[in-house]
Amino acid sequence: MPGFLDDVLILLRPRFLSFKNPLVAANSKKEFYRNLFLGTAGFLFWIGIFIISLRTLKYFYRIEGLGDILVFKLLSMLVLTSFSFLIFSSILTSLSKLYLSRDLELVHSMPVSGNRIFFARWIESTADSSWMVVIYTLPVFVALGVVNKAGLFFYLNTALVLLSLSFIASGISSVLVMAAVFIIPAGRMKSILLFLGFTLFLTLFMVFRMLKPEQLVDPDVFATVVVYLDTLKAPSSPLLPSTWVYDSIKESLSGSLRSSFFHSALSWSFVSVIIFINILIADLIYRRGFSKSQTASSRVFRYKYSDFPFTGFLTGASRAFVVKEIKTFFRDQTQWSQLLLIGALVIIYVFNFSVLPLERAPIKTIYLQNLLAFLNMGLCLFVLTAVAGRFAYPAVSSERDAFWLVKASPVKIKTILWIKFFIYFLPLLILSEILIVATNIILQVDAFMMALSFISVLLIVPGIVSIGIGFGAAYPDFKSENPAQSVTSFGGLLFMMICAGYIMAVIILEAGPVYDIFMASVHQRSMTVLQWLRAVISFSIVIVISILAIILPMRFGEKGLSKVLP
Amino acid sequence: MIHLENLTKKYGEFTAVSNLNLTIPKGEIFGFIGPNGAGKTTTIKMMGGIMDPTSGSIDICGINMKDEPERAKKNIGFIPDRPYLYEKLTGMEFLRFIGNLYNVDNKSFTGKAEEKLNMFSLLSWADELIESYSHGMKQRLIMAAALLHDPEVMIVDEPMVGLDPVAVRMVKDLFKHLAGEGMTIFMSTHTLKVAEDVCDRIGVINKGVLIATGTVGELKKKSLLVDADLEDAFIKLTT
Ligand SMILES: Nc1ncnc2c1ncn2[C@@H]1O[C@H](COP(=O)(O)OP(=O)(O)O)[C@@H](O)[C@H]1O
Ligand SMILES: [Mg+2]
Repeated sequence: MPGFLDDVLILLRPRFLSFKNPLVAANSKKEFYRNLFLGTAGFLFWIGIFIISLRTLKYFYRIEGLGDILVFKLLSMLVLTSFSFLIFSSILTSLSKLYLSRDLELVHSMPVSGNRIFFARWIESTADSSWMVVIYTLPVFVALGVVNKAGLFFYLNTALVLLSLSFIASGISSVLVMAAVFIIPAGRMKSILLFLGFTLFLTLFMVFRMLKPEQLVDPDVFATVVVYLDTLKAPSSPLLPSTWVYDSIKESLSGSLRSSFFHSALSWSFVSVIIFINILIADLIYRRGFSKSQTASSRVFRYKYSDFPFTGFLTGASRAFVVKEIKTFFRDQTQWSQLLLIGALVIIYVFNFSVLPLERAPIKTIYLQNLLAFLNMGLCLFVLTAVAGRFAYPAVSSERDAFWLVKASPVKIKTILWIKFFIYFLPLLILSEILIVATNIILQVDAFMMALSFISVLLIVPGIVSIGIGFGAAYPDFKSENPAQSVTSFGGLLFMMICAGYIMAVIILEAGPVYDIFMASVHQRSMTVLQWLRAVISFSIVIVISILAIILPMRFGEKGLSKVLP
Repeated sequence: MIHLENLTKKYGEFTAVSNLNLTIPKGEIFGFIGPNGAGKTTTIKMMGGIMDPTSGSIDICGINMKDEPERAKKNIGFIPDRPYLYEKLTGMEFLRFIGNLYNVDNKSFTGKAEEKLNMFSLLSWADELIESYSHGMKQRLIMAAALLHDPEVMIVDEPMVGLDPVAVRMVKDLFKHLAGEGMTIFMSTHTLKVAEDVCDRIGVINKGVLIATGTVGELKKKSLLVDADLEDAFIKLTT
């Protein structure tokens, strides 16, 4: 195909041009420091993963006889999880890059054939969807190499073979997406996302079940150690691309270069096959699919105006925004399809607790239960932070280009921020209380711990939502194609870090007094005056910082947003 | 009705609007004309309370925009140059949103909304999502929304862009009718024909400075061109 690559490179050029070195090309000092901060945080995170992996691996290798097998089992789990993650992320990215992006109309008006446009877009989509997964799984492999004193070949081969894995994942996803868009009638993009979202949910769940993580820590369920070892050693399906990658990495670690090279070659030859298939399919159906996807989704059914249920008691601006926010949310596929993901997350989370082998634990059960209940509270709140990052943080950015309406309206920015706060506060509070109560019931904690977790969550959730809304307002991004992604920006990172700090502060403050109370009841004696004092002071501080966490971020957001031009 | 005093806006070092003084009486249609980048949109955004001026003051119906922005904005029907809306709402739902925001009372809402939609030939589209509207339809929907709360002042940026000839005629007549009923209208435009047809008075802005105000006749005289049309006068004044 003459000129194929030339055309593709021309189509990719705008992307290259806007991807300058973020430190050199920074427009202002502020931007420079911002990028520096983001870069440093990212780097520290990488180093953190590396150190944790190194320690875990060293720990495993010390276990006589079993260590080796466990490490390889973990490795294969990692590769398989990365692969399913890559597929998931590239389904979403390629759908948006190939069919939904705003600049597609311009690109399709250019005198370039459909499969060239497709290929340029596909490259972009592959890069966008996989760079993060690849970069942040690398430290684990580097740690593996360091522990095993591997040679240069191991590192090179691992990097290359992971690259091939992202190409394969992206190739499979784009075939799926193209076929789905082509088969499903115009104006049903929503159904496509429902379909893809559901497939994803099932895949995630299946992968998780296939890995059987609880068996790793619980050899008792197997009749004998031999059976246990056999399960661990059982090879994964040779038809899965992730198996080739895993085998290649494993062989290169043990020094059998030829065998490793064979598996790498297998993986890369599949890359060329999948690219070839993609270009063929794109030639046949991409352009027609794109033209079909232009139909707005309205015709599925008419939205006859109706008063929204349960909002009758609201008036004025609060009613306006509550109704608008709910309707837009459920009509915007990119928004509600995320609910499926969160559903999966929650189910997996709760499920994890139900398979914990509590009865067989060697330590005293009550003690363990309380420890777990505390851990559970922290984890629940981190899950909540992730969910708030997806929904509450983008609440202001999701006004997008219609932000002028907010500015021109006779309502204070402050009022609007508080309305948004309550829209997200109620569902998030209900979600986290259900999570915490359900897991606590599974853990069979006592009434005191149940009450403590319930009240703590009640205190902390408004703070987290307020930090989300506030920082989202202070660092809004009205231009992004998908506001839900805005949490990966500078403000989003600040939001995550502040929430993490806040949650940890509360847990640390509560842990001491709770331990005292717990010990007192175990030994059936009363607490000393000093212990009482500590308890009262700790809980008072928790209440004070929780109130501050509600008020201060909202003020910060209001100030920041007032300065923003629509 | 509208009073601007020493209005100035700087974007960093760059002065987009400089020392603007204007008074527009009740019931007047004032046309704000100038070449691209003259500072029209900047002025209009400040008048709508969307952007704060660097210095100077804005009074709408005697209410100061800086002191009581919410009260001032209640009296304004604001129509920006680009019709960005909530794409996932229907036309009717959008009007309901605006109605709630501006506290239009619930009883009279439905009647009013249907009347406005009908006026802008959008009634049959009332229950379609805005994302399926064309540019001109969105523009008309914004106009319908801006009139919903019976504002005393209308501030319009380039109202005719994207409208078909029928709609242009309709909007012109509507503006004249509304002004006749006492509404004050401030509109920017670079279409001179529109300014000539509807505006009682015209202000010419160039590079952020108001260089002339007056009726069409007065402006023609100022440009020292006998029998010239407004286009010549405009080019003469701004170059
Ligand atoms: N947000 C902004 N930041 C910096 N400069 C701006 C901004 N908006 C407009 N300008 C500049 O201010 C000047 C006036 O713009 P504008 O008011 O949009 O002109 P117009 O009369 O065409 O509506 C232009 O030179 C423009 O480049
Ligand atoms: Mg303009």
